[in-house]
Amino acid sequence: MTRKSFPFRASGGELKDLKQPGYYEGYSSMAQKKNWDEATQKTVTDRVEKVSGIRFFSEKEAALFVAVIDRVMPQDDRAEGRTIPILPALDERLDKNSLNGFRYEDMPPDQEAYRLAAKAIEEMAQERFGESFPLLTVHRQELILKSLHDGKPDPDNAVWQKMPVHRFWAMLMEDCVTAYYSHPWAWDEIGFGGPAYPRGYMRLENGLPEPWEKDEQRYEWNAPVDSVSQPDEEGAPPEHGSLHGHGGSH
Amino acid sequence: MSHRLGPMQTLPSPMRRFEESDIVDYCIVGVGSAGGVLVQRLARAGFRVVALEAGHFWDTEKDWVSDEKGSHELYWNDLRITGGTHPLALGANNSGKGVGGGSVHWAAFVPRFHPSDFRVYSEDGVGANWPISYWDLKPYYELLEREIPVAGPAWFPWGDPHGHPYGPHPLGGVGDVLVRGCSNLGIRSVAGGPVAILSASHGDRPHCIYRGFCLQGCKVGAKASTLITHVPDAISHGAEIRAYAMASRISLRDDGRVNGVVYFDREGKERFQRARAVIVSGYAIETPRLLLNSACPGHCNGLANSSGTLGKYLMAQAGNVVAGRFDELIRLYKAPPAHALSEEFYETDPGRDFARGFAVQTVGPLPVAFAKQMVAAMGAWGWGMRQVMMDYNHWATLGVLGEILPWEDNRVELAEEKDQHGLPVAKVMFNLHDNDKKLIEFGKNKVMEIMAAAGATQVVQESRFAHLVGASRMGSDPSTSVVDKFGRTHDIPNLFVCDGSILPTQGSANPGLTIQALAARTADYLIKQGETIFYSNRRDLNEPGIRYDLSPPYTRFKGNPRIA
Ligand SMILES: Cc1cc2nc3c(=O)[nH]c(=O)nc-3n(C[C@H](O)[C@H](O)[C@H](O)COP(=O)(O)OP(=O)(O)OC[C@H]3O[C@@H](n4cnc5c(N)ncnc54)[C@H](O)[C@@H]3O)c2cc1C
Ligand code: SF4
Repeated sequence: MTRKSFPFRASGGELKDLKQPGYYEGYSSMAQKKNWDEATQKTVTDRVEKVSGIRFFSEKEAALFVAVIDRVMPQDDRAEGRTIPILPALDERLDKNSLNGFRYEDMPPDQEAYRLAAKAIEEMAQERFGESFPLLTVHRQELILKSLHDGKPDPDNAVWQKMPVHRFWAMLMEDCVTAYYSHPWAWDEIGFGGPAYPRGYMRLENGLPEPWEKDEQRYEWNAPVDSVSQPDEEGAPPEHGSLHGHGGSH
Repeated sequence: MSHRLGPMQTLPSPMRRFEESDIVDYCIVGVGSAGGVLVQRLARAGFRVVALEAGHFWDTEKDWVSDEKGSHELYWNDLRITGGTHPLALGANNSGKGVGGGSVHWAAFVPRFHPSDFRVYSEDGVGANWPISYWDLKPYYELLEREIPVAGPAWFPWGDPHGHPYGPHPLGGVGDVLVRGCSNLGIRSVAGGPVAILSASHGDRPHCIYRGFCLQGCKVGAKASTLITHVPDAISHGAEIRAYAMASRISLRDDGRVNGVVYFDREGKERFQRARAVIVSGYAIETPRLLLNSACPGHCNGLANSSGTLGKYLMAQAGNVVAGRFDELIRLYKAPPAHALSEEFYETDPGRDFARGFAVQTVGPLPVAFAKQMVAAMGAWGWGMRQVMMDYNHWATLGVLGEILPWEDNRVELAEEKDQHGLPVAKVMFNLHDNDKKLIEFGKNKVMEIMAAAGATQVVQESRFAHLVGASRMGSDPSTSVVDKFGRTHDIPNLFVCDGSILPTQGSANPGLTIQALAARTADYLIKQGETIFYSNRRDLNEPGIRYDLSPPYTRFKGNPRIA
């Protein structure tokens, strides 16, 4: 993956290079592996060790989505060799046609949606900045993606007349966060205890750590100051109903 | 290797296998919350039963993992089309696949419906009345609460107040937030249940270890699913559970009675199971889909659809998730997601401008689910997403569970698209109406208020929907409903529907316990009717009387403890 956003080509901005981002320095969920049941050990270890090759996307599409994913799920602060693979997980899902159980009536099949979006994003880059999307500065890439995030593609593109941009954005984000936050390195970053069978948890209240978990050690977390993907107080998007099923609630 | 159901229980072996030429008494389609209870009851009563299940027959030690992404297979992932003004997310959001069905990945909240739920039309002039009352179902609620069994407070103050067989669970961080927020506003709450999760070991099922992976299937066996509570007993009593069997059509004879089910086996080969009666338990989307796909001469709009209501009056509950960020750590992934609630706003309040109400419940999204919620609730992406997620342990989440009324235009139909077997897939249309919108607005604001009162410094929310019921509803009038009060279709005397799809309204309670209680009652009816189901077209509408001798082992007690 690229590390080009440090400093931002457009406007500078700097970030400490971290062995492990997040407030739980030294916490490793994989170090607890021997305490997990066999099936879980295998599933999670395979995720770390077996990264599949790209089969669904063409070389050009893959290059485009590498750049897109670097912006929507940036990892420039992660040390080399500790980047969480996202494109391979997405590619594998589309290649295997692993669906999430439904499709919106106004959306094409997932595979077609990604192909159409690749075309649209590239055309938007050419039209607005006269350059291919992967070659744009980080800032310019972000501007295009932010317009998709906001549901107001700038410049507009014929694809978004056929396919609702907010639905594509939701699917893209869902695929990216699923790949990222299902990875044990992300669990280390956010201080998630991870698999806990057969051992279980014993300290349920007051946010206390288990003996093998770490206490939080906060510091000023510094994402690039000039990124337009910083949280925005008025950032709540218009309501479009929920994303693809998240099996995470009641 | 034996087939494991939790660390201590194994599947009884060998399982009886019926021959293709055998005519069984009952063929049940779908072994989920309802199907699991039905097959167990009917087998115990001595009927010859085959239950077809489209999904896997889970070995919990081999097939289940403590991992969100790795649990994808628990859901109905096959294609469905969703539309309307408020399209429902399907798949992991509400549909299970495999033996146990939705009871494998449910959170296991098991509140009962309130007495008023059965008389919504009489009391509020909206929705529909049930053809039965709360009091008809009450003994079955008590029975299932012992069979699953349920842990919860000794005194549950809402609806018909009651207690629970197993003691309440200790409070996790999110439950603490719910209780604190409610207390600060003078709202009553309960904690530690009611949930179908063991707070103490029970036979060969260990107690909960508070690992929070309930929605990924409980490997521990502490959380109830019909896979571990009723299916083993069904097999011990001679039932066959046939997994990887996808029913495609119910076959109708010239005399207007059904004689079996056509299905695809694991290799995609079409097969036929002959049966003297058929019960469809495929849940609110697949049940109407199967009946619609079974259209035949004389039933060109689908089987049992002379009323034209098959597929209609589908309901989902408002399931907005309210997330609050606290300065202190919460660690919301510990303890079962389901463990505290308030039903203070459940009933119609004349002071509000809408009918019916909602419940407030704990939810416990693991990292992937929480990140998706942050996409929807905050528009998080890029560095913003990374930053919000680094505070995962500072957030607590509460859910609205709000009653959306049954509307004719919320429905399941057949789409143009076909599945891997060439069968038309379901198309689900969902629209919110005025009462629903007002209820959601009020409920969402109330839960945000509770979150703030608990001390959250930032409160956001995501609009979503939870659970499904309806789409082949029961009723006394054959021109406005699909089945009678025992689940027998009005049109075909030996075809039954028994699952979430028969509910006329949904209350603000999670539907699972009610679905299982209805299944036990239907089973008592079928057993009482005996052979007449198989040859007579006479419809006996007398209550069967509850049978207490059909429970799985170690679940028979004198009653449910309650204080006061
Ligand atoms: C994330 C989540 C959390 C939930 N939490 C709760 C909760 O806390 N409390 C609660 O009460 N409820 C909860 N629910 C809802 C609950 O799981 C369902 O309401 C309930 O399981 C429905 O029961 P059922 O018997 O109608 O259908 P299901 O349990 O869905 O069973 C239907 C079965 O039929 C099979 N089937 C369907 N069609 C066919 C066919 N053509 N051929 C063969 N087999 C077929 C399916 O594979 C499935 O196994 C939750 C649901 C989800 C998704
Ligand atoms: S929290 Fe308890 S019930 Fe839920 S999965 Fe863990 S052990 Fe099972």
